[in-house]
Amino acid sequence: MTGAAVFARKEIEEILRTWRIWVLPGIFLLFALTGPPLARFTPEIVGSLVGNQLSGIQLPPPTYLDSYSQWIKNVSQIGLIALVIVYGGLVSGETRSGTAVLVLTKPLSRVSFIVSKAAVHSGFVVILAVVGAAITWLLTYLIFGSAPGGALWRSSGEFAVLAVLFLGLMTLLSVVISSTAGAAGAGLGAYVALSVASIWKPLSDHTPAGLITQPASLAAGKDAPAFWPVLTALVLTAILIVLAGAAFRRKDL
Amino acid sequence: MTAAIETAGVTKVYGTKRALDGVDLTVETGSIFGFLGPNGAGKTTMVRIVTGLAHATAGSVRVLGTPVRAGDPIGSQLGYLPDVPGFYDWMTGAEFLYFAGRLFGIASAALGSRVDQLLDLAGLRGVDSKIGGYSRGMKQRLGIAQALISAPKVLILDEPTSALDPVGRKDVLEMLAAMRGRTTVFFSTHILADVDRICDTVAILDRGRLVTLAPIHELKRRYAASKVIIEVAGDAGGADALVDEIKAQPWSTAVARGSDGTIEVTVADMPAAQRAIPGFIAARGLGLARLETGEVQLEDVFVHLVGAEQR
Repeated sequence: MTGAAVFARKEIEEILRTWRIWVLPGIFLLFALTGPPLARFTPEIVGSLVGNQLSGIQLPPPTYLDSYSQWIKNVSQIGLIALVIVYGGLVSGETRSGTAVLVLTKPLSRVSFIVSKAAVHSGFVVILAVVGAAITWLLTYLIFGSAPGGALWRSSGEFAVLAVLFLGLMTLLSVVISSTAGAAGAGLGAYVALSVASIWKPLSDHTPAGLITQPASLAAGKDAPAFWPVLTALVLTAILIVLAGAAFRRKDL
Repeated sequence: MTAAIETAGVTKVYGTKRALDGVDLTVETGSIFGFLGPNGAGKTTMVRIVTGLAHATAGSVRVLGTPVRAGDPIGSQLGYLPDVPGFYDWMTGAEFLYFAGRLFGIASAALGSRVDQLLDLAGLRGVDSKIGGYSRGMKQRLGIAQALISAPKVLILDEPTSALDPVGRKDVLEMLAAMRGRTTVFFSTHILADVDRICDTVAILDRGRLVTLAPIHELKRRYAASKVIIEVAGDAGGADALVDEIKAQPWSTAVARGSDGTIEVTVADMPAAQRAIPGFIAARGLGLARLETGEVQLEDVFVHLVGAEQR
């Protein structure tokens, strides 16, 4: 087993044996479990809250697409913000605690250290997106009696690409910014900047900014061109990880 | 014989501060090398450059003949213990040693017995709790164990005994001493007694500069002649006046009163001191009970080389 594989195995064990197994999975599970029932009962909830004040307005009956939208809106906003905060110390946490020093004075390169971390945690967030989508699909089927999966899987797939992009960004930020809060703040700033960029259609159609709004559109049953946003996001992720590796090599530990 | 560690002109600058200033070191293979210096002298910076953890502003480092490039992994023949080792708190000591051994690519069959051996050595056999619950001393002993996992040819330890109780300290020093001839041990410390006890060679760093590098016995011999111990008979006032008179002499660099009434004089010119001191004693009507050159301790050398500049 190579040093990178040994270190990746350590990362997986760390996810399974520490707080990491509770925070993001807990958030994703909560959204997956609450999305479908909330979508189903939203008209009743709104009706009971406003009484006769909206008597002229008729809310359409909920469909399985509302359930999918509920899930994807939650994870692509609150879920993504949680991801940025959780991964603010992905690398700096190890340099600050001294564990990186012990590991990197063994036959493991700094680039392998970074790539292993990014790969394992990317896999982790993709699994969370897939499992969350599967639970959403199952509950939607049970509640609505019909759940064609295309819109859900396409939107969740695009969200997974966006999550991997932000994981790459947080890997780089946690190398160059030694404070966890500082890196998380910069990550949130990037999220806001990407959200603003997504308003302009050319950027939304051809850059990762499209992944901010497109998953919600797809989940709502609308069509959206995914090729360029997904491709540019994957390329950008690779660039961010390469930059993180290069910056980490230059860093004094 | 190839030097185990060789540095040439290693310099490290942080902003306007020169943490290391052209340090040249040669550590002979198989030796136990003590790297001394007061706090802030640059010892840890030097150790980090030697282990490839930090970049030197100038200069070069070779370990076992191979150039060290900061940021690149070091070879499997080097073991390292930092001053405050950081572990994954969720692992047990045995799990960490297995993890470290796998990073070195040690085969599973050999790794099991190696881990057991090192847990015994560290006194952690049967300790099943997570590292997060360890005391600082236990972490330090686990740190030494992980540094030895690959049976390295060069062992670099930064302040290895600072967190240990007297028994743990004795055990670690005996363990290091037992490696003499087989493993090159380079350890930085400010505990002079540890160096005095087991080291063959010592280097003293002060404010980023190498003040001296020599075998310990030679260093002691070099400075032994510069210390005189005097014991006089007579009234205390006369002895005090004698101390003041000696202090005023150009050949006297330091004078201290021992707890047993002796006077310890560090001298720059021994023949001049030996000629003058009996005359001072006789002139004050004191009796000369003892006048001898003292056995110098490493602490005296250290204070002489570092303390003098700091004053």
